[in-house]
Amino acid sequence: MKKLAMLLACAAAFALPLAASAQDAAGTTKKDSYRFVVVPKVVHPWFDKVNEGAQAAAAAIKAQTGSSVEVIYSAPQSADVVQQNQIIDSALATQPDGLALDLLDPSGNRASLEEAQNQNIPLVIFDSIPPEGMAIPYIGSDFCEQAKIAARRLVEVLGGEGEVAIMQGVPTAPNHSIRAECHRQVFAEHKGIKVVAEGIDNDSIETAQQQAAAIMQANPNLKGWVASDAAGPIGIGQAIVEAGKQGKVTLVGLDNLPEMLDMIRDGVADSSSASQPELQGYWSVMLLWAQATGAKVPGYLDTGNAFLTKENVGG
Amino acid sequence: MQTSSTQTSAVAHLARSPLAGVFVALAVIFTLSALISPYFLTPYNLSVIARGLAFVGLITIAQSMLMVLGELDLSLGVIGGLCGVISGILMVRLGVEPYSAMLLAILLGACLGLLNGLLVTVLRLHSLVLTIGTAGIFGGANLVLTRGVAITGIPRDVHYLGRGDLLGIPVPFLIMLVALAFATFVMLKTPFGRYMYAIGNNQAGARMLGIKVDKIRLLVFGVAGAIAGLAGVLMVARLGTAQPSIGETWVLAPIAASVIGGVATTGGIGSPIGAIFGAGIIAIIENIIVLFGVSPYWQGIVSGAIVVLAISFDAISRRYLRRDA
Repeated sequence: MKKLAMLLACAAAFALPLAASAQDAAGTTKKDSYRFVVVPKVVHPWFDKVNEGAQAAAAAIKAQTGSSVEVIYSAPQSADVVQQNQIIDSALATQPDGLALDLLDPSGNRASLEEAQNQNIPLVIFDSIPPEGMAIPYIGSDFCEQAKIAARRLVEVLGGEGEVAIMQGVPTAPNHSIRAECHRQVFAEHKGIKVVAEGIDNDSIETAQQQAAAIMQANPNLKGWVASDAAGPIGIGQAIVEAGKQGKVTLVGLDNLPEMLDMIRDGVADSSSASQPELQGYWSVMLLWAQATGAKVPGYLDTGNAFLTKENVGG
Repeated sequence: MQTSSTQTSAVAHLARSPLAGVFVALAVIFTLSALISPYFLTPYNLSVIARGLAFVGLITIAQSMLMVLGELDLSLGVIGGLCGVISGILMVRLGVEPYSAMLLAILLGACLGLLNGLLVTVLRLHSLVLTIGTAGIFGGANLVLTRGVAITGIPRDVHYLGRGDLLGIPVPFLIMLVALAFATFVMLKTPFGRYMYAIGNNQAGARMLGIKVDKIRLLVFGVAGAIAGLAGVLMVARLGTAQPSIGETWVLAPIAASVIGGVATTGGIGSPIGAIFGAGIIAIIENIIVLFGVSPYWQGIVSGAIVVLAISFDAISRRYLRRDA
């Protein structure tokens, strides 16, 4: 009997550390419910698609694990970093299990991100890049490559010659400024291409339309447009139609909002180089959940780009 | 018997106070938020509200001073943004000592406010219309200077003014309280303040009484500009960058806050304290919308409805308190 007791005690002594290590192993922490907050740049249809992806990920986690997952989508009413920080700070007060953000300006958002890290709240950045020196996983497509696909297409359609214009989105937003810069790089490689104007639309279709109309007035020989955000090409397309320049001015758009797809179908736009917002939302939540379970996550996750033309956007 | 009469006198005093309604509305919204959300009363969340309130609060103080005079300055937010950018340029590009740069930027704010005041008083222009124009000029200057790109590398020495806490209270909130105390003292306890109300009530009458109307209006425009500049440089300290977008959302909220707080747009009525109560209501609404996870598409309806309820509650409670007194 004593031997049996001794044997059981020894087995228990060996089992305890094993059990403990299993409990601490990466990705094994489990909760019954998770609450994640998604904060985009601004209220915008592109971010609605991000939200759709985020909600799909929540449903998938619930279906696979049984844990309930709530995704709260909280967007600034305008693309203003002060307003975005206020939302982030208020969201942190609710102690969420993770925060997914599209930064309006990494340096301007830094203080709020540092506060999140101080509170040990898992972070993921989508459609943007982390502030310099901050280790935060981020998700997105290669913004530069996305822009270069569009700019190269425009050069190809114009036969390597003509006056072109670039529409910037929010100049302080890194993804927008990277795209604008990469458009410039491609055009600089072609001597026959001349960038005659650049507009700033601040991610607003209305502003993009106004800017594009004014730029086309001032530059009657303008042959083509590229944009750096999703709102830009929609406003440019409206301006092209209103100015009666359809077929005379070529638009190569960006992203895959329904209006963009309609413009490709209607022949207002030649094509579009599209990031995939649903995937960015989906994987943002997946990476937040993985961090909440204690798993290690990649520093960068590429959701890729798609090139949309009349042939592949469907009826 | 004496206690009862003291209580009656306290209620009468409260009822007579123009701040009674907005204070009760603020207290109700605060209490309801605390009851509904478990996160609302946490020290961190209260500091988030206070820090957010500080910046809009400064512009609200400035706007309410002008509104008491019967004026409106729609360029105050843009002045704040331009001063923030100028302080960034002075610190980062020109190497000016950070605190001196901030002071110079505040001085610039005073000058821009004075410019508005000069155009209003000398050319007899309507301040609302004029400042729509000057807001365009100041905002345009901001874009010319920055090309829409934030100025980074603000020295860490000054971050404390925007991000720091003193005894758990955010520093910008304390600065806002000092500005509020100053404005309230001047407006309620000095002859200068009484002249402001006299001008707001009846400008022609004030002139006939020998009050130097234009001088006082000019000075208040200048002070308002300086306060807007202070808000701008504090926001630069808060963000750690000089953002060209600073001040873009500081246009309508301070006017709404002042009106909620009992400041009449026609002049002569109200005080900065009431306006700050109004700003407090707006700040709490913005906070609870996030705490409750309200959909961004419903936020406008929810915040608008709460403001309407607050104003209605203010009017009803004032009527009720008067009757009770």
